[in-house]
Amino acid sequence: MTTYLLRRLITSILVLFGVSILVFSIIHLVPGDVVTAILGRQKVSAQEEAQLRQQLGLNDPIPVQYWHYLSKALHGDLGESIRNHVPVSQSIAEQLPSTIALAFSALILALVIGFVLGLTAALKHGSWFDTLAMSLSVSGLSIPTFWLGLLLILLFSVSLKWFPSISTGSSFSALVLPALTLGLPETSVVARMVRASMLDVLGKEYITAARAKGVRESAVILKHALRNALIPVVTFVGLQMAYLLGGSTIVETMFARQGIGRLAVQSISNRDYPMVQGVVLVVAVIYVVMNTITDITYTLLNPTIRLK
Amino acid sequence: MTAETSQPKIRIDSPGIRVLRRTFRNRSAQVGFAILLVFILACVGAPLITHADPDAIDPSNTLHVPSRTYPMGTDGIGRDVFARFLYGGRLSLWVGLVAIAIGGLTGTTLGMVSGYFGGWLDASISWVTDILLAFPDILLALAIIAILGPGIVNAMIAVGISFIPSFMRLTRSNVLAVREMSYVEAARALGGSNTEIILTHILPNVMRTLLVLVTLGIGSAILAGAALNFLGLGAQPPTPEWGAMLNAGQKYIRQGWWLTVFPGLGIFFTILAINLIGDAVSDAVAGTVVLSKTK
Repeated sequence: MTTYLLRRLITSILVLFGVSILVFSIIHLVPGDVVTAILGRQKVSAQEEAQLRQQLGLNDPIPVQYWHYLSKALHGDLGESIRNHVPVSQSIAEQLPSTIALAFSALILALVIGFVLGLTAALKHGSWFDTLAMSLSVSGLSIPTFWLGLLLILLFSVSLKWFPSISTGSSFSALVLPALTLGLPETSVVARMVRASMLDVLGKEYITAARAKGVRESAVILKHALRNALIPVVTFVGLQMAYLLGGSTIVETMFARQGIGRLAVQSISNRDYPMVQGVVLVVAVIYVVMNTITDITYTLLNPTIRLK
Repeated sequence: MTAETSQPKIRIDSPGIRVLRRTFRNRSAQVGFAILLVFILACVGAPLITHADPDAIDPSNTLHVPSRTYPMGTDGIGRDVFARFLYGGRLSLWVGLVAIAIGGLTGTTLGMVSGYFGGWLDASISWVTDILLAFPDILLALAIIAILGPGIVNAMIAVGISFIPSFMRLTRSNVLAVREMSYVEAARALGGSNTEIILTHILPNVMRTLLVLVTLGIGSAILAGAALNFLGLGAQPPTPEWGAMLNAGQKYIRQGWWLTVFPGLGIFFTILAINLIGDAVSDAVAGTVVLSKTK
């Protein structure tokens, strides 16, 4: 068990090391000269060009550049934006809470609706409700996030005028449509997972034994079945939270909402490489850390793995 | 009547044929194939269906509601949305196919090499794959677009690269199982070269499981490509593409619902069709298809 946990941690550290190399390489993999690519058609003096080259640290040998990048990043210094000269870490710190709020709301929504749908479908297995819930879930998996968002805007913003189509500020109403857009497709995944997991557990011998002993049906479901059926869902929560942070890119852009996803898209369009590197690095680190925590939690929760 | 003629003929098909037959028998897959066929025929045969130029601007006819003349209306600068829908669908489907070809070929080759040869080669390839998997899908594609710059070809490459890890992982795990089989050892003992063993003995056995990933992957690739186009990082104006059309339509969402509804329906039904086929292929490969349902 300890060996497994130790190995898992070492793997994650190696991956993070690789992530830092890849993110550092972004600026060097740009076809041609990166400074020319950043400046585009702008006419600047040779001195300004040299200054930009200096700011990006391009005059040093590549291993030295990487060492500088890594040591600064470990101290929270991710460089400075080429466009507005604000520290990258400051911009990310300003935008991240908004993205976390969005991802968290979407996850809660997906868990609540998906859980109710999946559980009811499993308990009414083979009924019209089961068929309807699963048909909705297949449709939910096929619907593109960006189209769902537009349909929600058409319905709730244009026709009913309930919620704004532009998500500015931190009010509840500004969060509803983005959270629905990001969370509804995940609802399908949760519903399918809870249903499959419950059906699997309900067929187990210990459930039959509990029923044979005369345990009340509600107790069988709540105490015996649900507890075991929730183990895969725990894994899902960890993975999806990290995934939703990345997935917020489209939703934030669509609703003109503050957040690191929108910051990434804007930085790509502006060819603001330090900002792109910063956002990609932060999201990847969050993703790896969340995956590692999820794996470890799953191992600790699951008795069959824990005993090994 | 001789004894020979009275015996029933036993037809032995290759596993690939069996998978295809089971897939075609599945009712959900039949619906999926029907939807996909309609879209492919409509998009490929676009010039036969409409004579309208998808890029022709008509300032006197902007935001025309869907009618007999304009089945899907016109956009903010008077272009025929139906023509753009048909021509745009070609590009959306093409992005999915090219991306999956890039991701599939590269990932499968890396997985073969990694699983078959093992050692430091396996460790290195697996490490790189783990690094690529450390990025949520769209973020990896965005990072690649940041390097290559926006554009439809770059979007195809970006989506393709983001599919490499899943193909590599699946192929590698299959190769690890197959390479220990007695027939592979026999081929090795008979002096078969590594390339020969990989191509003639390992690849055919890995293909079946890869088929599931290819089918479902095409849907995901179309979706990812459309997402990049929606973000304005793929197809550039005036090129019609479903994702890019949705992006342009969002500006007119209060004046023209049709600009966001039709391109979205195109993506939705294409992905739905591919998912239905993919699920059936998955069932067929697993050999657990419920034949009683389809008979």
